[in-house]
Amino acid sequence: MRLLRENARLVLIPALLGLFAPGLFAQTSDPPKTSGVRAMHVLGLEGVKQKQHGTLTVQAGGLSFSGKEAHSFLDRTSIASVFTGAESRQTGGKVLTVAKMGIPYGGGRVLSLFSHEKVDTLTVEFRDANGALHGAIFTMPLGQAAILKEQLAAGSTEKASAGGQQ
Amino acid sequence: MKANRSLWRAALCLAICGIAAVASAANKHDISPWAIQVEPVQAEEGQLPADFSVAIYEDVLTQLVKSSRFQRVYRSGDRDAKAIPNLLVLHMVLLNFEQGNQTERAVTTVKGATKVQVRLKIAPRDGAALLEKDVQGTVRLFGENLKATDALAKRIAKTLRESPLSPPGSTKTAGQ
Repeated sequence: MRLLRENARLVLIPALLGLFAPGLFAQTSDPPKTSGVRAMHVLGLEGVKQKQHGTLTVQAGGLSFSGKEAHSFLDRTSIASVFTGAESRQTGGKVLTVAKMGIPYGGGRVLSLFSHEKVDTLTVEFRDANGALHGAIFTMPLGQAAILKEQLAAGSTEKASAGGQQ
Repeated sequence: MKANRSLWRAALCLAICGIAAVASAANKHDISPWAIQVEPVQAEEGQLPADFSVAIYEDVLTQLVKSSRFQRVYRSGDRDAKAIPNLLVLHMVLLNFEQGNQTERAVTTVKGATKVQVRLKIAPRDGAALLEKDVQGTVRLFGENLKATDALAKRIAKTLRESPLSPPGSTKTAGQ
């Protein structure tokens, strides 16, 4: 019985290692990828609806936006400039706006004082294969836009220095 | 009596069809022989936030495509536009920008409006201006600040739709 258990261990451990090894190799061979930021696409990306939520990620090759229905990728070489900004907006959308209108004695206005949030905006200007200028705007939680911009800039300088060394 | 009713119904149907035909004819506008290229808004540094500048540019492109007024709508820098002979270029220069606050609008209903005003100029690539006009977009009560750019773009598209643009051969070029 003991022999059987030891044999099972001897077989199982290499089998498990074999199972996960390709995954480990796959992870190391992938380009370095930073963690994504939850963002809303305001406008500008072709094939992506306006006000669609998704994840904005800076990758080795550029900037990627993945929404529920659509995905878009901006090549780093196509990006002309990146700007950050901040914006204050009302939360709750149209539903809360209508609800606030229904509250008597100006209660809706008081509610408006507390139903707002500050968000960061990330504006990206890029050119397509034909040289035409495009612009895309994203909003995201406060403090995230500057980080993404830094990551994009860092990637560009890395690429430029790598190009210079060659 | 029955014949009277059916006559009335037929007359009513005809009247409705007539009104619909007139309305659709009024909505239809001539497709200009021109193609148009849209240039980004020109503003002094720091006068207009980048997101507003990009939003105006993109919204104007969207509205011009939607209006079907021009043969084709080109973006700034598009290499395909170079070969087009009947090309108008739309330049926008920022005149005034007031950034409001959505919360202020929701609370006071009279304050916090966002206004953006541009001078639009349409001219052939190397010719005199065909149209020059100041247009303003405003968001006064509902919506985010960027909605002002949408309002501005709609006004620009409406202005261009309603402006008679002289045909390509009749314009004087600057060099002549």
